Amino acid sequence: MALIEIKNVKKSFETNKVLSDISFEVNKGDVVCMIGPSGSGKSTMLRCINLLEDIDEGQIIVLGQDINKIKDINAYRKNVGMVFQQFNLFNNMNVLDNCVLAQVKVLKKDKNEAEQVAIQRLSEVGLKDFIYAFPNTLSGGQKQRVAIARALCMDPEILLFDEPTSALDPQMVGEVLNVIKNLADQDMTMVIVTHEMAFAKDVADKIVFMDDGIILEEGSPDQIFNNPKNERTRQFLSRII
Amino acid sequence: MSLSKCLEILTKYFPSFLLGIRTTLIVAILGTLIGLIIGLFIGGIRAVKLDKTASKSVYIIKKIIDIITKIYIEVFRGTPMMVQAVFIYYLVYTNIFKWDKMFAAIFIISINTGAYMAEIIRSGIQAVDPGQNEAARSLGMSSSQTMMNVILPQAIKNAFPAIGNELIVNIKDSSVLMIISITELMFQSNSIAGTTYRFTETYFVTAMIYLFLTSISSFILHLIEKRLNNTKTSFPQSDTNIHSIVIASKGE
Repeated sequence: MALIEIKNVKKSFETNKVLSDISFEVNKGDVVCMIGPSGSGKSTMLRCINLLEDIDEGQIIVLGQDINKIKDINAYRKNVGMVFQQFNLFNNMNVLDNCVLAQVKVLKKDKNEAEQVAIQRLSEVGLKDFIYAFPNTLSGGQKQRVAIARALCMDPEILLFDEPTSALDPQMVGEVLNVIKNLADQDMTMVIVTHEMAFAKDVADKIVFMDDGIILEEGSPDQIFNNPKNERTRQFLSRII
Repeated sequence: MSLSKCLEILTKYFPSFLLGIRTTLIVAILGTLIGLIIGLFIGGIRAVKLDKTASKSVYIIKKIIDIITKIYIEVFRGTPMMVQAVFIYYLVYTNIFKWDKMFAAIFIISINTGAYMAEIIRSGIQAVDPGQNEAARSLGMSSSQTMMNVILPQAIKNAFPAIGNELIVNIKDSSVLMIISITELMFQSNSIAGTTYRFTETYFVTAMIYLFLTSISSFILHLIEKRLNNTKTSFPQSDTNIHSIVIASKGE
């Protein structure tokens, strides 16, 4: 069953064409990694799925509904979690409150219940001891793990990752990827924009290779990494690996 | 000018000065607080960027509000408070109702401060990293929930030095309100000087009192600012590393 269907999506910023005719599907429980050079439109595509950007043409169907026709955006967004490159934690509250706020405001849970969910999620990402810490006292890897826990607290159907490790020091990349890997093992449906090729190869069910606003190639990791059909894909991979 | 004469004036007319100080502080503090509320409201509205999904009518209403608030800010920042004071005081007094002078003074200083505060708050809001807004919205929070819980608390903290500055300015600039003859410090000083014919000494005392009031205020504001910036931190007992990450599988 396809949880996300992208059909012929086009988008431009002013005269700059970012997405030209993108189509792909994400099945329930699948991990789809989007790879490709910077500026190829991967992040924009991801942001369109969470309605942080709107599209010019085409359709994005998530959980059976055309998301650009949805009236209640907030009700839709609680099902689709997003993790950002720059973590985007709320700096005015501690780690626990970061995870509690949306549960109370959006899911209308009472505070105790929300705190329990938050503590559970935070221990799953290894941050149980840090619940009263403020974001500015955490390392990048810890911040990103909080951001993942915060998204998980909403119990989303789908998680979107926008280059989750690109802003991290190399030694912190592993801890964040580990968390994502564990989520993949639990069959969480995820779309991940990443430059970590080894990770993508390891964790993905499907790889989508984008360049210049179009999908040049998509397929299993084995197919893309070991046997790429497209010349551009081959060039890109040879430069990166 | 002799210092002993200054001291004599201060001690002899101390009750009059005290009344002036009292009025000045009431007008300045209340004016700053009410101005802050006006500023939060208007600055908040001005900083809102509409969703792309907003309907045409919402868009038009927002545009009209933007224009009205812009005119308000420009008019009250662009004309002297002394002129605003006489104009508004007599406009209301002769045409609408015979209002109390003290009430009029607080009203005038509040709307004047509100115009400055609106811009201070707006820039404070815009200084908060937009990523936090996106993160809150991506969790399903509405724009007003995001504003109240995430953006405004940080905006006020960012803007606190500028907000405090307005209080200092108001303590000094409330002196122009003597034009509608409320008994604030400058008005009192004028009467004392008129009685004693010791202009230099009297106004020297007045200046010292203003300096004292503003110094105390900036000291207190500085303490509050330090408190605001002193975020609590926890000191974790154990070091957590990737090996201790255990993820319970779903459903367990």
